[in-house]
Amino acid sequence: MHEWSVADAVIRTVLNWADDKKIKVKKVVLGVPSFSFLDVEILKEAFDMMKKDSVLDEAELEVRFKDPKFKCKNCGKEFSLNDVKDQIDSVRSEFGEEYPMHFMPALAPSFIKCPYCGSHDIVLESQDMTIDEIQVEENGTVKTVSQG
Amino acid sequence: MEPLRQLAKDKLSGKRVYAVMSAKGGVGKSVISSLLALTIGNTTLIDLDIHTMAIPKLFGLEGKLHEVTKNGIEPFEVKTTKIVSLSGIVKDNYVILPGENQSSIMESLIAYSHIDSNTVLFDLSPGLGDEILVLERITDFTPIVVTTPSKISKRVVDYLIRYLRERGKEPKILVNLAYMDCDGKVVKPFGEYEGFGLPIDPNLEDYIGRIQDYEGIVKEKLKEFVQKL
Repeated sequence: MHEWSVADAVIRTVLNWADDKKIKVKKVVLGVPSFSFLDVEILKEAFDMMKKDSVLDEAELEVRFKDPKFKCKNCGKEFSLNDVKDQIDSVRSEFGEEYPMHFMPALAPSFIKCPYCGSHDIVLESQDMTIDEIQVEENGTVKTVSQG
Repeated sequence: MEPLRQLAKDKLSGKRVYAVMSAKGGVGKSVISSLLALTIGNTTLIDLDIHTMAIPKLFGLEGKLHEVTKNGIEPFEVKTTKIVSLSGIVKDNYVILPGENQSSIMESLIAYSHIDSNTVLFDLSPGLGDEILVLERITDFTPIVVTTPSKISKRVVDYLIRYLRERGKEPKILVNLAYMDCDGKVVKPFGEYEGFGLPIDPNLEDYIGRIQDYEGIVKEKLKEFVQKL
């Protein structure tokens, strides 16, 4: 289900951004935190179904997974997703496929502890889904707009 | 660009949105939110107090997980009230989050919920925190401020009232534990108060875990309040 909500949100956000501009969107690049484990195929299918009859009609969706880096604010050490793989696996085994971080990557600090000191006071980089790039065609010219 | 915020906005678009809030903790926000949702009827009650998650405890829904369908997070249904809480996602795990993650979780909870009622009521955590800012970003809500008649409560809640007025919102003020009704004689143990007073009902405590069955004097009084909304 989650993939359909995401596709819907992406389309609405781009439509809002495009407003009434005379453009055609050719491509949308979506940055996704890797532990959200989105099913890219379902996401693209949902995107293609919902984009019809809009400036996104010809748009392709590209998904780029962002591997988060964590930093512990308690002990100052940095660690990667791989360093806490066992913790994520145990959450998945408790909850199954629709586990909390799948919906809400920002919940990660609640379920993941620093592998060095055990603190939950961890910061994630690139935890949110972001629209990183939009490729548009305007008056026959294709250009890429990067998003902050 | 923030797709989640857009989706959260869309979910609340065209709906009547109430936010039950207080700058002070322990004044009875969650109990009042629950009773208000039950009184209004056909309302989606969203628990934005993502750390204490008291709403499911009041309705006896502890440990239950939300079903997830293609429409999103399906609320728990109790009578005509539809309930969404983070506890339905994390089960009985505690939630501890750095500040910057909290608003993101609140936005996600709203964005992913399946909301099909015309009225949405939010139960907020105490204080002037992220939840107020999140709601301001996504919807034009009517604030319902809960206080008690105690001096400290009134003084603390005054911050929130001033803030809301500065933002162009006129809060409805509910004064919990305001008076006792002793065979028709009203006794105000904490003195006078400003706002809509709710009576003290010691029996209410027996309904924690099954608040949907409570039909006592507090709910009776809330019916009057709801008519004025």
